[in-house]
Amino acid sequence: MTGPWRKVLRDFRSEGTRTWLVVAAITLGIAAFSAVLSSYAILQRELNQGYLATNPASATIRVDGIDDELLRAVGSVPGVGVVEARRMVAGRIKAGPAQWRGLLLFVVKDYADIRVSTLVREEGAWPPGPGEILIERDAFQVARTRIGETVTVKMPKGDFKTLRVTGRVHDVGQAQARMENVVYGYITLETLAALGEEPTLDQLKILVADGPLDRARIESVAAAVKQTVIARGRTVRRVEIPEPGKHPHADLMGMLLLAISTFGLLVLALSGVLVVNLLTALMAAQVRQIGMMKAIGGTRRQIASIYLGQALLLGVAAVVPAIPLGMIGARALCGYLAVFLNFDITSFAVPVWVYGLVALVGLAAPLLAALRPVLRGTRITVAEALADHGVADSRFGADALDRRLAGVGGLSRPVLLAVRNSFRRRTRLALTLFTLSVAGTFFLCALNVRASMMNTIAHLFAPKRFDLSVNLGTMYPMADVQRALAGAPGVKGVEGWIVTEGSLVRAPEAAAPAANASLHDAGAGFGLHGAASATAAPPARFAVLGVQPGTELLKLEIDEGRDLRADDVDALVVNSAFLEKYPAARVGSTVTLQMGPAQAPWRVVGLSHEAFSPPVAYVSRAYFERAGGREGMTNSLRIALARSEPEAIDRFRDALDRGLESAGIRALSTTSTAESRYGFDQHMVMIYVFLVVMSLIIGGVGGLGLMTTMSLNVLERRREMGVLRAIGASSRAVGLIVVAEALAIGLMSFTIAAVIAGPLSRGLGDFVAAALFQTDLSFEFDLNGLWIWLVASLLLSLAASLLPAWHAARTSVREALSFE
Amino acid sequence: MLIQLEAVTRTYKTPAGEFQALRGVDLEIARGAFVAIVGKSGSGKSTLLNMVGGIDRPTSGAVRVGGAAIERLGEDELARWRGRHVGLVFQFFQLLPTLTVIENVMLPMDFSGTVTPTARRARAFSLLDRVGVADQADKLPSSLSGGQQQRVAIARALANEPPVILADEPTGNLDSSTADEVLALFRSLTREGVTVVIATHERDIARVVDRVVSVVDGVVAR
Repeated sequence: MTGPWRKVLRDFRSEGTRTWLVVAAITLGIAAFSAVLSSYAILQRELNQGYLATNPASATIRVDGIDDELLRAVGSVPGVGVVEARRMVAGRIKAGPAQWRGLLLFVVKDYADIRVSTLVREEGAWPPGPGEILIERDAFQVARTRIGETVTVKMPKGDFKTLRVTGRVHDVGQAQARMENVVYGYITLETLAALGEEPTLDQLKILVADGPLDRARIESVAAAVKQTVIARGRTVRRVEIPEPGKHPHADLMGMLLLAISTFGLLVLALSGVLVVNLLTALMAAQVRQIGMMKAIGGTRRQIASIYLGQALLLGVAAVVPAIPLGMIGARALCGYLAVFLNFDITSFAVPVWVYGLVALVGLAAPLLAALRPVLRGTRITVAEALADHGVADSRFGADALDRRLAGVGGLSRPVLLAVRNSFRRRTRLALTLFTLSVAGTFFLCALNVRASMMNTIAHLFAPKRFDLSVNLGTMYPMADVQRALAGAPGVKGVEGWIVTEGSLVRAPEAAAPAANASLHDAGAGFGLHGAASATAAPPARFAVLGVQPGTELLKLEIDEGRDLRADDVDALVVNSAFLEKYPAARVGSTVTLQMGPAQAPWRVVGLSHEAFSPPVAYVSRAYFERAGGREGMTNSLRIALARSEPEAIDRFRDALDRGLESAGIRALSTTSTAESRYGFDQHMVMIYVFLVVMSLIIGGVGGLGLMTTMSLNVLERRREMGVLRAIGASSRAVGLIVVAEALAIGLMSFTIAAVIAGPLSRGLGDFVAAALFQTDLSFEFDLNGLWIWLVASLLLSLAASLLPAWHAARTSVREALSFE
Repeated sequence: MLIQLEAVTRTYKTPAGEFQALRGVDLEIARGAFVAIVGKSGSGKSTLLNMVGGIDRPTSGAVRVGGAAIERLGEDELARWRGRHVGLVFQFFQLLPTLTVIENVMLPMDFSGTVTPTARRARAFSLLDRVGVADQADKLPSSLSGGQQQRVAIARALANEPPVILADEPTGNLDSSTADEVLALFRSLTREGVTVVIATHERDIARVVDRVVSVVDGVVAR
């Protein structure tokens, strides 16, 4: 080993604690970076592999009453490789004493011959027998049931029926059941008939034979299939072509991974800041040694390489533990995301290029950070270096800020000393403040984004003054409904609305796909992954809600114009998504709506503020009474209850079901407002937890940074600590001055974070909401976050300063002030 | 006697083996005396000064200053004792760079709690006036000359009215006329009953002080 390398190793060791603090920070940074990079590689591979293995349908075509003859005809359309008929029906399910849950039943004709959108059989029976149901593995937790137990199922056209749960399957193509708060069940046609529904299939799932990933090809084949169906006198209700070969949640995952990798790079950059601090201090302390080395013939290049070697060593020491740590992190992250996205990871193998890139970045980052301090430090001439007394910055007072600080009074001297001391190393202070402030800003943003989302959801649900929406499917006289309700006590208010679909006549070309196949009644629930799941056949339709004139159960939040009035007939209120999609429908304009065969002009009188919602138009039901002879009729109920806790709602639902049945009314679905809200809250919790975890990790790096800074400050001021001791300061007093300095830095970082967090979290919230849900947020600043972060940053400062303070307090006067 | 050292030894453990800085020193210094400790670099004069100032403790022997047994006090008791009974002046002044001149003088009062908080500023100002730098009170040390800084350091040493002032090479970093002024300031303090002990290299110190204690190889030369 050469002399310079020996020096590198010894200096590395002699810097002890500080070196390890910096290594710990870089390790954290590289581990985060490698966890993200590995997760990206693993998830990209596994998600699409797992999804493609199920032979996802190239297109799904909705046709009523599919028979074998139609299947054969479609099967012979050129380009169609496989065609299968399916059915999907929404109902309700209840296990034992649990509450009613939404149920999505998938009906398969022949379980032995599933070739499109396959299911993975996990446990129990296969196929399900008559009166039996298989449940998707994640949905067991929603249904709260087990294999072997029985569940009660209620379909729109049927009575309460009992099914036995006989097996567990994994349906890769479905979103996580817990997140959607819905149960996925799999039954046969026979069981469907027993549940009271028509035993027919209405979905044609086709797999394009050649080029299954070619969108244009799929579109042309789907069009040919549509022609074939129409030629046979059938009606095509909808054609859905998902992004070929792409998991429905791939975009969502891409967003998450993008966010995590941004964060991984941020942590890495912040740990680089620590390297800058450490090496700047080291170079300052080594001025004389550098001078000596130059005096005995060392070139700047040779000397710089010694110190860069030290930075390289920091990188090596960090990369070695960071790679296995990163792998552990990647497993945890992938595991979490896999459950969330409902797919299995068969292999956690990480491609070699990931290791290579992590090692490269891990070694390069500290070198890069060290470059400037080292080049500056080695520029000094021999004469300058040897004239240096090694007395740490006696130049305080040289600039205006120092003099202004000297004018600050009103605090006790030890506190003043601490506060002013924190300003002595400006660059170091700035870098330390930067890392700490980033952590604080992240934390406050996390809380603000959460508060804003809560606020947005609250705004979304605030207009809905009802607890239940009952979708009747067809028109019933309101009088019958009133009779049915007589047997269900606890109703505070009930309104019969008329809900239909409409389209805009001569609407500008609608670019965005229509609202997805919502699981719920159009008025009550909205899917969260609209853009990722389906493409509808034009013209795009939207829900038209004919509300009761002077409704008490819907108080829209009007952004512009006005709400509907009791005497309105041809007035229309549209929501935010509607206006975005149909810019012509601004307040004051007149638009022509097509509902059924009829076309009519409407005046747009108001704009309703609704985040997370697909396009909806609100009108008065008076129109349908006048134009369509629907007087006293309704197809959709809104019910407000006196008590709205889940148990009360469930009890009421049971009574309502009985009442409706005895009145001869078959409700398609009953959705409680609380259930619709649950899904939103679940998504928000995930984002929130994610942001908080990020801020904690950055807080960790910030804490290590502050610890390094305080440790360097104490080291450079040993002499002053000695003077303090000499003039009567106790160990406690010296330690407290160090702690106070750290607290001052913590307080400064808190202030910076508090100021930045406001505007930043507004932008971040809008970005996240736009990326995930195509909506904007009603911003809210969570004031609790300020208190929490104030306490947290003070605790962090305290923790970071304890060790340095202890070192400072322990220094004996004689050591600090060697007289001779 | 204000200061009494009896058979004091001090041994340091160094990588090169044990080093005896003091080997059985006996010394008595009376109240109000102006004493110079002289000796070559490495003779042990600073160690001796450290013993008297409670900065270092003897390996064996006894050190009494104003009745306090230095060797029996812990680090923190020593710090508190030092704050009230000893004022220290250093060669490089050692003012805290981030505190103003007057704040530097008030700091020992803060640590010892000797003067009521409201009276501290007035007392610090009168001390600065006494050493002749009251007009610099609100400046930062970096804007003062060496002589001015040493005067501030002396004012700081006097903050808690200690009976003893110890100064290590107080004139080592000053030009000769400024050095004379500082020594004159010390002399005036002894007239008020303060005991001043300085460690110095200066050859002709004998004409200024009451007594010269010469240290050679860790013992007091007779």
